[in-house]
Amino acid sequence: MLTKLAGGRLFDPANGRHGEVADLWLRDDRIAADPGPGAAPDATYDLTGKVVMAGAIDIHSHIAGGKVNLARLLMGEEHEHHRFAGSACGCGGGSGLATPSTHTTGARYIEMGFTAAFEPAMLGSNARHAHMEMGDIPYIDTGGYLVLGSDDFLLDLIATNAGQAAINDYVAWMLTATQSLAVKVVNPGGINAFKFNARSLDLDEPGPYYGVTPRSVLTVLARAVYELGLPHPLHVHGCNLGVPGNVATTLDTIQAASGLPMHMTHIQFHSYDTEGDRKFSSGAAALAEAVNRTPTLSVDIGQVMFGQTVTASADTMAQRRTAPLAHPRKWLAMDIECDAGCGVVPFRYRDNSYVNALQWAIGLELFLLLDDPWRVFLTTDHPNGAPFTFYPELIRLLMDRDYRLAKLAEIHPDAPAHTTLGSITREYTLAEIAVMTRAAPSRILGLADRGHLAPGASADVTVYTDRPDRRAMFERPDLVFKSGRLVVRDGTLVAMAQGCTHVVRPGFDDLIERRIARHFDERLGLSLKHFRIRDEEIRHGAGPLLHPCRRREVP
Amino acid sequence: MTFHPEILCPFCGLGCGDIGIDRDDSGIAPRPSGCPQADRLFRRPMAVATDARMAGTPVAMDRAIAEAARLLGAARAPLIAGLATDVEGVLAALTLAARIGATVDHERSDALFRNLAVLRRFGWSVTTLAELRNRCDLVLVVGPDPAAAFPRLWERWVAPAPAFVPGGGRSVVFLGGKPLPETVQCLAGQIETQGMETDPQPDLATLVTRLRTALAGRTASSDARMAELAARLRAARYAVVVWAAGLFNGPQPDLIVEALARLVRTVDGTTRCAGLPLSGADNLIGANQACTWRTGFPLRTGFDAGAPLHDPDRFDWRARLRDADVTLWISAFRPEVPEFGTSGSVIMLAPPETAIAPEPALFIPVGTPGIDHAGDVFRADSVVALHAGALIDRGLPSVADVIGRMLAALEQSADTREKAGC
Ligand code: SF4
Repeated sequence: MLTKLAGGRLFDPANGRHGEVADLWLRDDRIAADPGPGAAPDATYDLTGKVVMAGAIDIHSHIAGGKVNLARLLMGEEHEHHRFAGSACGCGGGSGLATPSTHTTGARYIEMGFTAAFEPAMLGSNARHAHMEMGDIPYIDTGGYLVLGSDDFLLDLIATNAGQAAINDYVAWMLTATQSLAVKVVNPGGINAFKFNARSLDLDEPGPYYGVTPRSVLTVLARAVYELGLPHPLHVHGCNLGVPGNVATTLDTIQAASGLPMHMTHIQFHSYDTEGDRKFSSGAAALAEAVNRTPTLSVDIGQVMFGQTVTASADTMAQRRTAPLAHPRKWLAMDIECDAGCGVVPFRYRDNSYVNALQWAIGLELFLLLDDPWRVFLTTDHPNGAPFTFYPELIRLLMDRDYRLAKLAEIHPDAPAHTTLGSITREYTLAEIAVMTRAAPSRILGLADRGHLAPGASADVTVYTDRPDRRAMFERPDLVFKSGRLVVRDGTLVAMAQGCTHVVRPGFDDLIERRIARHFDERLGLSLKHFRIRDEEIRHGAGPLLHPCRRREVP
Repeated sequence: MTFHPEILCPFCGLGCGDIGIDRDDSGIAPRPSGCPQADRLFRRPMAVATDARMAGTPVAMDRAIAEAARLLGAARAPLIAGLATDVEGVLAALTLAARIGATVDHERSDALFRNLAVLRRFGWSVTTLAELRNRCDLVLVVGPDPAAAFPRLWERWVAPAPAFVPGGGRSVVFLGGKPLPETVQCLAGQIETQGMETDPQPDLATLVTRLRTALAGRTASSDARMAELAARLRAARYAVVVWAAGLFNGPQPDLIVEALARLVRTVDGTTRCAGLPLSGADNLIGANQACTWRTGFPLRTGFDAGAPLHDPDRFDWRARLRDADVTLWISAFRPEVPEFGTSGSVIMLAPPETAIAPEPALFIPVGTPGIDHAGDVFRADSVVALHAGALIDRGLPSVADVIGRMLAALEQSADTREKAGC
């Protein structure tokens, strides 16, 4: 099947195209070179005046696994009110907004022109569940980031000075066994400390039992990820999430990386200062400055948008702290398998609340003060800051200063005084949006054939009408192709498609397996044989898509 | 004869992975595991009838599939229940349910809904089996001994010394229930019982209320033993409250669960404490997980003009059976089916050894996940999913295979109708 997308304006920053008019060819599931005169495409679309981009990629969205399913159960009222029938193509049915069901998740993403989304908090003990759910989400590519850093095995390796090589082997073994794409650390050591009844743990505070500090957990993991040569740097959810004054910890965390690459996630929740009467103010400027001058760092925002949502996190310590603010007033928490935990707390962000209004402003400040769109990613930390369906509105806020100022005038009157948002004139360009949502995510995750439009890339393509109202533009693309198949036309699903699951598999020294096996037998009551996820379990037998790792040494 | 060690058991939801199986030409047999369920259910003969039956008469599989599709396609109020199958089977059943507008429920979901009712209105703080095994210094068992439903619970998760308790000591207190003799043997010396001094069948709700009152420091001096238990809960580093709601008898069992969830929260305010609600044989938890991720709702969900609709009372399979005109009953793990009366027709997917009277309209033999084919099941703590492998090939299809073929037959008949212009 040969398809010609004729005469659109291509925004393909990975290949240096910023809106030039060109034809784009798709052959089967791949982008193809121009076959030259005489080629007879099976289908031709006249895209004169339209904006053409690769399919968008969400690097941090809680879409699958135990905590997501628990959140669905807890948010029963939301599901009652948002029920969807399947479309004629056999998909899109289900329910929910903040915690959409699997088919609904795939449908809402693809309708917005997203062709991949990654689950950023997959616990080893829950990985099989997460993979089953990801396999049931149609349309989009998926993958999971393995949560490490509060698992007893790792803390024991650190406490007993097992050495970096053993840690690297363990990390590589776990990534392989759980079919993961990257490594995430959540409140390093903090979830474990909580199990021993610590209710907070600062960067340089030794945790209970092991006496290991969050800083050492961070540094050994960042180093393991670097030395194993994983494409994606350590994905860091730092200490003290949501605590006023935590910007200081966040700045220290940047220092702790000491030059190793690191991705700091949902930094909006880690950018709070303590100025003003309410002892709560924006620390965005200081943080933005630090990120701007640290080229080894990348960040995503975790933008807050107003309305009802639910927070779902492995950070039981932070969730336990915010639980009294639950709306509606119910929440749940789990300690999990000498591995990590999970907490689910419903939340309603209100624009007339000082704190919520400031959170909203801090996120936007960060977006606008961070100058390199290759190192900033569009996220709401779905569903923690807001459901991912708010992205088009968020894009409009970034691209349209007048609109932003109008919204700023609507929030709690005291909030604007505590942020610099009103004075920022920057507006994102279409080219920058294409970087932030396509080219940069594929680069930071090491997905060589995603996020761009050069021949050989996966034929994931989104076509928009260029509208001044950017929200309307990004909400409803004209056409979306997934792996070369037209699946959305004028915002409506027209065909079914399946994505794939991306993984890495760095090698390891088999010696580590003996020590891990003992841990599994004695502590977890489960043998390695039953823990390990086989290729044939991924996507109903289709297996995962493997990305290479290149071992390196810390200079 | 070949020996297969470390086989995963899919039956009760504890996920034991250490079953030894002998296989020869006559079939498979387990080495004694200390578990009555595994010892019985892993024993399967090689020679079984693989034919389907229509009103008791053997028919070819194709014919049975076509007939099932015809019945289901024409049903006005179809029910898919039993739902005892691996996750693939459940997902296939959900696809079929959406296609024909059926409601779905698991045979054993009663126990689950006693817990879910609380989770959905209040939330909870809970833990998993390995946390129990390694961190817990005080186990509080509420109600009847869960070992009745989860035979190796104590042996595998409480008898081993906890890794993170200084000195390794752990106490097990039964509140309002009597440990089974095997439990007493397994936990020799660690067990105490409370609340049964005067009454062999005490009122659980009252006992839990007394304990909560004691925790709040409002105990009458006559309730000194409860005050002492409350003090021990507060002093424990990591107390785990274990219950199997399916075994509670008495009115409004969900109110006992809610009281326990609140009790856990009270203690967890100062020291660590978590609940461990156990439910789920025959992949009940997996069925609920898959239903939740696919539809957004737990079991007892149906499809109303294509969109999911949940009603825990009306869609309880026992209630729903009364007005279902066609019931697809799925029971892949064990050759028993509960008694059920329905005036509608029944299509049954079950192991070939299943004895059933009267004969259903249609009987389609299926394999057991973890025996005849590989399949995923969830553990009773709802976090760990396990992949159970295949042990023998008796020519029995999986539930997912059979339903997949029914769906294909339904599509085909829809195509024919379209082509004929009707
Ligand atoms: S306790 Fe449960 S999982 Fe373990 S062997 Fe018995 S039936 Fe199987």
